[in-house]
Amino acid sequence: MSALVTDKTDYDVLNVVALKKMATQQVVAAASGVGEADVGPVLARLAEQGLVVMAAGSAFPTDSAEPALADAAARLYVAVRADPGIGELVGRFELVNSQFLTTMSAWQQIDVGGRKVANDHSDSEYDDKIIGRLDKLVARLGPLLDALAGHDARFGTYPARFTAAATAVDQGRHEFVSSPTLDSVHNIWFEFHEDLLRTLGRARTE
Amino acid sequence: MADVLAEGYNVFDTGKSPSGTVKYLESPADVIGLIQSGKLGEHILLVQGGTTTFLAPALSMGAIGVITMSGAPESHLGILSREFQTPCVMTAYLTTSDSRYVVGSTDPSHFEEIAKVLDGRKVRLDCTDNEVGRIVADD
Repeated sequence: MSALVTDKTDYDVLNVVALKKMATQQVVAAASGVGEADVGPVLARLAEQGLVVMAAGSAFPTDSAEPALADAAARLYVAVRADPGIGELVGRFELVNSQFLTTMSAWQQIDVGGRKVANDHSDSEYDDKIIGRLDKLVARLGPLLDALAGHDARFGTYPARFTAAATAVDQGRHEFVSSPTLDSVHNIWFEFHEDLLRTLGRARTE
Repeated sequence: MADVLAEGYNVFDTGKSPSGTVKYLESPADVIGLIQSGKLGEHILLVQGGTTTFLAPALSMGAIGVITMSGAPESHLGILSREFQTPCVMTAYLTTSDSRYVVGSTDPSHFEEIAKVLDGRKVRLDCTDNEVGRIVADD
């Protein structure tokens, strides 16, 4: 029988590990809002249950983590799943997500005579246009994030993270658009999408 | 001429042409095991989908090349592979087979056939073409 996650703190910590795929104790503490001193014992408990493994100084989710989170989410988020307002907003999100992925690819590669080449970021007008488009797409998540935060405060942390990344980008730190090793716009969006799917009990589509 | 075993979408043009033994990764445990083995750099990683999010740690730990059997270059994994500059061929199909991936209606046998042919094979990725990525026999 698979391990059960019944405690909400355990869920929040395991959810962060599953979203980030590998995370140090400090990162888990910062992202989950659980105190740094408390994260260690929670991770140890989750490791004992076979839900995380510690390797290379980080926590990784095991194969049992996703089923355990899915099972817990089905119990924790009955009200979210039944909320018609959220259902409608999520329906619109799918289109926004697809536009986001296309825009992020346009940030990385530009079209030159029908050929995709790496964006060397020498055309600031082009880059500013893409950044403006990303800002608008992030803004369109607002109502969904607000509605979800009404059910679980965890979703209230995403707007602050998006704002911090956007501020860094505005200050010229363009690595905060898509760097996989920073709390970049792409990383935050990806984690939100995965968090949303788990909360709603839906699968990612190709 | 080198034997092209499979082809797919080339996620980005690169002169990098990594060579290694294909390792089929089916679960997070497979990725953790590979990272712990210290042999990540010896393998070209094969996964089923472009939505296979558990591969991210392998990319950040220095994976040399990736093959997927579904998914598009605009997907999360495609974006990550460009960020890490890890050569990546997506929705690869065998050149010796007529079977192709179709969104939402692909029989599991399609993936099994590709995994059976490529897993354990020494290959090289050719990602020089703007659109087509090639998996070339290197043994």
